[in-house]
Amino acid sequence: MKFSKLLAATTAIAAVSLAGAASAEGMKIGITQNNVGVDSYQTTYEKAFIEAADANSDVEAVVLDAGGDVARQIAQIQDLIQQKVDAIIIWPTNGKAVVPAVRKAQQAGIPVIITNSNIAAEGMEFIAAFSGPDNITQGARSAELMCEALSNKGEVVQISGQPGYTTAIERQKGFEDRLAEACPDVKIIETQPGDWNREKSQRVMEAFLTKYDNIDGVYAGDDNMGVGGLNAAKAAGRTGIAFIGATNFAVGYEAMGRGEYYGSIYQSPVDDAKAALQTAIDVLGGKEVPKLNYFDTPKITQKNMNEFTKPVF
Amino acid sequence: MAAIEVGKEPASIDVKSLLARQGIFIAFVLFMIGFGIFSDKFLSPENLLTVLRQSAIIGVMAVGVTVVVLSGNLDLSVGSMLSFGTVMVVDLHDKLGATPAIGIMLIAVLVLGAVNGFLIGFLKLNSLIVTLGMLSAIQGLTLIYSGGKNVDVADQETTWFAIFGRGDILGVATPIVIFAVLAVIMHIVMSRTPYGRRIYAVGGNATAAVFSGIRRNRVVFSTYLISAFCTGIAAIILGSRVMGSQNNVGQGYELLVLAGVILGGTSLLGGSGNILKTVLGVLILGFIQNGLLLLGFPYFAQWIVTWVVIILAVWLDVAAKRGRLLSPIA
Repeated sequence: MKFSKLLAATTAIAAVSLAGAASAEGMKIGITQNNVGVDSYQTTYEKAFIEAADANSDVEAVVLDAGGDVARQIAQIQDLIQQKVDAIIIWPTNGKAVVPAVRKAQQAGIPVIITNSNIAAEGMEFIAAFSGPDNITQGARSAELMCEALSNKGEVVQISGQPGYTTAIERQKGFEDRLAEACPDVKIIETQPGDWNREKSQRVMEAFLTKYDNIDGVYAGDDNMGVGGLNAAKAAGRTGIAFIGATNFAVGYEAMGRGEYYGSIYQSPVDDAKAALQTAIDVLGGKEVPKLNYFDTPKITQKNMNEFTKPVF
Repeated sequence: MAAIEVGKEPASIDVKSLLARQGIFIAFVLFMIGFGIFSDKFLSPENLLTVLRQSAIIGVMAVGVTVVVLSGNLDLSVGSMLSFGTVMVVDLHDKLGATPAIGIMLIAVLVLGAVNGFLIGFLKLNSLIVTLGMLSAIQGLTLIYSGGKNVDVADQETTWFAIFGRGDILGVATPIVIFAVLAVIMHIVMSRTPYGRRIYAVGGNATAAVFSGIRRNRVVFSTYLISAFCTGIAAIILGSRVMGSQNNVGQGYELLVLAGVILGGTSLLGGSGNILKTVLGVLILGFIQNGLLLLGFPYFAQWIVTWVVIILAVWLDVAAKRGRLLSPIA
C-alpha cells in the first residue's frame, strides 16, 4: 500500500520533470475531439485548433476525432498515453464514460485538459484544467437580455436543447434562475425541447403560437432553434415577439441585422480552440492554472453587433 | 371515406363489418374528439391546418415507403436521404438557382434509391440490412458533401423556392396540396393500374408472382425509386420551410414514417394495406404530437403517451378486424 503510493508519487514527479523538459524543446499535445463534421461549430473548432498549433513552433499537435463514439475516444486516449504525449486535450463524447481513461492518463503522469463541455464531477480530480464556455452564465446573460427586451414584464416561452445534454441543461438552469431573480414579472409560460433542430423548433413554436394568444418573448438554447421559432412567428404573422438565443449563428446574426431577432450570446469556436491550446501550454509551462478556465462569451444584440464579425457557421 | 363504405351497404347498416374495415378511422375520430375535449384550441381551423402542414413532410415520405412495404420490403434509409436531399437542395439553391438545385437533388436521391433497388431487387439482399446500412452511409455522404457546415438560403424573402414550404395554392398551404395530390395519384396507381397490382402480387406471394410472369426484381427496383422520389419531394418542402438545413435534420424520421405506415394498417410482410390508410396513420401521429404539446405535457411524457396511443390504435384496428376486443385464441 505504502509502496504503491510512493511509486505513484515518484512517477508523478518523474512526469512533471519530463514535462518540464519537454516544454523547453517543444511540446507534443494530443487532442481527441467529440465529433468533427457533425456541425459547423466543431468543424471550425478543429480548423482553428490546427492553425493555432501550427502558428506556435514549440507545439507539435496530434489531432484525433472520436466521431461521437465513446469507445473510439477511450481507445484514442490510450493511444495518446502510449505515444507519451506531453498533454492530452479531450472534448468528451460523454462526460462520465471517459473518466477511467482520464484517470489512466493522470496515473501515467500526463496532464489532461477538458475542452468545451465538462467531464462528470467524479472525474474533476483527475484533470489538470477545464477550458470552455460557461453555459450557466450564458443562460443568465440571455435572461438579462430578455428582461431588457421586455422592460421587465411579460410572458415568454423557452425552446431548450436536446434533453440530457449538459449544455442544454446548464443554459436552461442559468436562464430560469437569473430570470426569476432579475425580472420576476417576466414569466416562463412553457418550456419544450427543440433538440438543437431548427425544423423541430419551428414545429414546437407553431404549437405555442396556437396555444397562447400572447407571447412576448422566446428564449432558444441556440440561434439555430431561435431562427426556427422566428420562421414560425413570421409565417403566422405574429409580430412584437422578442427572440433571444445563444451561440450566435450566422442566420441569427443576419436576422439581427434585419431587426427581427433581439440578441444572443457570442461564442466563437476559434476562441474555444485557442483557449484549450493555451490552457494546455500553460499547464505544461508550470503556470498556476485555475481548474475552470472560461473564455468570455459576451452578449450580442442589434445595437452592438457591429463589434463582432459574422459567425462562420 | 366512411360515408362511401356505408353507401355500399344494404339498407341496414352492419356496424360490425363497418368497424372491421374502418378500425383505424374510428380510432382517429376518437382521438380527435378526446383531444378536442381537453384543449379548446385543438379543433380550431388554424390548428388543424398547422398539423396538416407539419404532417406533410412525413406524409409524403410515408406514401413512398408504403409502396416499398406493400412489395414486402422495408426502407429505413429515408431519414438520412431526407437530410442529404435537404442539405443539397439548400446548398445548390444559392450556387445555381432554385430550378437546377431541385433537378440535381432529385437525380441524386434517385441514384441513391436505385442503389437500394439494385441491391434488394436484383441481388436479392435483405432489405432491412441494405437500407439500415444505407442509413449510415448516406449520413456519411451528407457530412462529406457539406463538410459539416449548416447551409442556409441567403435570400429568403424573394426566392420563388419559398412556395413549396411557405406558400399556398388557392389558399391552401402548398405542403398540404403536394401531400394530397401525391397521395391521391399513388392511391390510384396502386388500386387501379396493372403496375399497382403487380406490387401487391409481389408482396403477397413473391413466388406465385414470379410464376405468373411478373418480373419481381424490376418491380422491387421501381418501388425504391418511388420511395426515393417521395423523399426528394419531402426534402424540397423541408428545405423551403426552414430555408436552411443541418446534417442531421432527418435523423429519426425513418421511424416516424414507418410508424405512420404501420399505424395505417399496412402489413410489414407485404401485400396488404393501402395509401389512404397510411395518410390516416400519419395524421394520427401528427395530431397526437400536436395535441400533447397543446395540453402542455412535458416531453418525456409525450414519448410515453405517443407509444400508448399507437398501441391503442393498433389494438383497436386488430380488434375491429376480428370483431372482439380480446381474442380467445392466441
